[in-house]
Amino acid sequence: MNNPAVHISGLHKSYEDTMALCGVDLTIEDGQFYGLLGPNGAGKTTTIHILTGLVLKNQGVTEIYGKDTVKDYRFTRSQLGIAHQELPIDWFFPLEKLLYFHAGYYGITQKKAKPRVEELLKRLGLQDKRSARLRQLSGGMKRRYQLAKALVHDPKIIILDEPTAGVDVELRHELWDYLRELHQNGKTLLLTTHYIEEAELLCEKVGIIDKGKIIKEGSPDDLTRELGKAGINVHITGWNDELNNALDDFSFILEDNRLHFTVRDPEEVMASIIQILSNHGCHIHSVSTEKSSLEDVFLSLTGKGIN
Amino acid sequence: MRGMNWVGLYTLTRREVGRFFSVYRQTVLPGLISSGLYILIFGFTLEQRIREIDGVPYTLFILPGLIMMNTLTNASSNASSSMLQMKLLQQLPDILTAPLSSLELSLAYIIGGAVRGMVNGILVLLLGVLLIDMPVQQPMATLGFIFLVSWAFSSMGLLLGQLADTWDQLAMMQNFFLTPLSFLGGIFYSIHMLPDWAQQLSLVNPIYYMINGIRYTVLGVSDSSPLNSFLMALFMTILFTSSAILLMKSGKKIKQ
Repeated sequence: MNNPAVHISGLHKSYEDTMALCGVDLTIEDGQFYGLLGPNGAGKTTTIHILTGLVLKNQGVTEIYGKDTVKDYRFTRSQLGIAHQELPIDWFFPLEKLLYFHAGYYGITQKKAKPRVEELLKRLGLQDKRSARLRQLSGGMKRRYQLAKALVHDPKIIILDEPTAGVDVELRHELWDYLRELHQNGKTLLLTTHYIEEAELLCEKVGIIDKGKIIKEGSPDDLTRELGKAGINVHITGWNDELNNALDDFSFILEDNRLHFTVRDPEEVMASIIQILSNHGCHIHSVSTEKSSLEDVFLSLTGKGIN
Repeated sequence: MRGMNWVGLYTLTRREVGRFFSVYRQTVLPGLISSGLYILIFGFTLEQRIREIDGVPYTLFILPGLIMMNTLTNASSNASSSMLQMKLLQQLPDILTAPLSSLELSLAYIIGGAVRGMVNGILVLLLGVLLIDMPVQQPMATLGFIFLVSWAFSSMGLLLGQLADTWDQLAMMQNFFLTPLSFLGGIFYSIHMLPDWAQQLSLVNPIYYMINGIRYTVLGVSDSSPLNSFLMALFMTILFTSSAILLMKSGKKIKQ
């Protein structure tokens, strides 16, 4: 398939008087790990819900592998596995049965689904809970079940809406490992998260959405390089005025024998700065670097925290 | 029918049927117990005063009505409560994001409710046969009519379940419309026992036709013509089924 896994163009959605999406454009290539970041109410979940058929769009193109998500919903939905943010409650059936039901909705009989269900129960540590009802599971177990459900029909694209919300640190790292494994196995992943660290660690590309529009896209590294601020701190003795000319290409301030350079990429220029200082007889006591995180970029773009 | 997701339809139907069977103490036994109590209390006590209606002993006379009341209340409440429960418990996204069409989704809910309506109706029928030796004059027509009414009211339940946002709204439909209309539809009396104005009023009550339809197939007596009863059941089936499917297709109330 040469078409991108997900293609969204000019997507608009309003709820009564509120404009939720005003022209979202987004493309996710096959096999890519994409993170959608945005503050509450930015339009992340609405975008995902339109893709999956839970919300009706007002206007715009939404395609999965080149097929329209409304006209060709059978094809597009069969390509998607969705782990919803809200944890479901079911009073009637055990966890294993629910997974078989979910496979069945996708046209997979219980017999055919059995190996996959067994594999997922094992991989996600749910084997002992196969007969448990959802209300008997902890929040972390319910998250694992959500993921197992999203994967039971072996979809090409996995949509994860806040997959690690409310789970402890250990499980979060386990889930991250599993998501990396899925990505290595060629799956396309679309992740929304409140944990910017999660997006920074896992995603090849992130899109920052605010007020219903993608305002910036790129790899976490590119975004922090392009939009973030970084610095180099050097503690020296032996400053002389000649250095003002020698360091003319750099933006810096000197305060109590401490030089602070503002740069785009500390690794790129650190060697040159140290060389200039050494050549001019300075004694260097310590060097440290600081770099903006994706969170800083997010803050500078949206003017607010993600939470 | 080509291009149908048959496995998906079968799975969701199995889930719907399994759901009410898993709580049979709430969904099957109460109708059976209350029907038994109606037979004992209303039937045996009132039979001392009302010997026969249309040549039929009173206890036998009320049984078809009890079958119908059980059938239609169970069929409608299954589909309506299941739909509302899925909405409120965040289970609906699982099926709305699956490759299932509006027709398949609707059919699964309707079949689930119709099965519950039939199970409840047939159990009360068997109760009558075993407890008071009720003769069933046209068994196939009786089963056919129970099926038709189950389908019609299950579709109505699905329609209401989609429209409702709270349990209160659903209970209102059940308590203020369905139960009164059932009682006023002639379960315990023939409309000929009513004053003229009440007889005329009964004719606009659709459940009157359901009760008299089943009474005809079981006992061979009926206040309304069997054809009218069948046509009313068919009309309601078509009306509610198409409305429920169209509402599902539109996504109003279940999608934003």
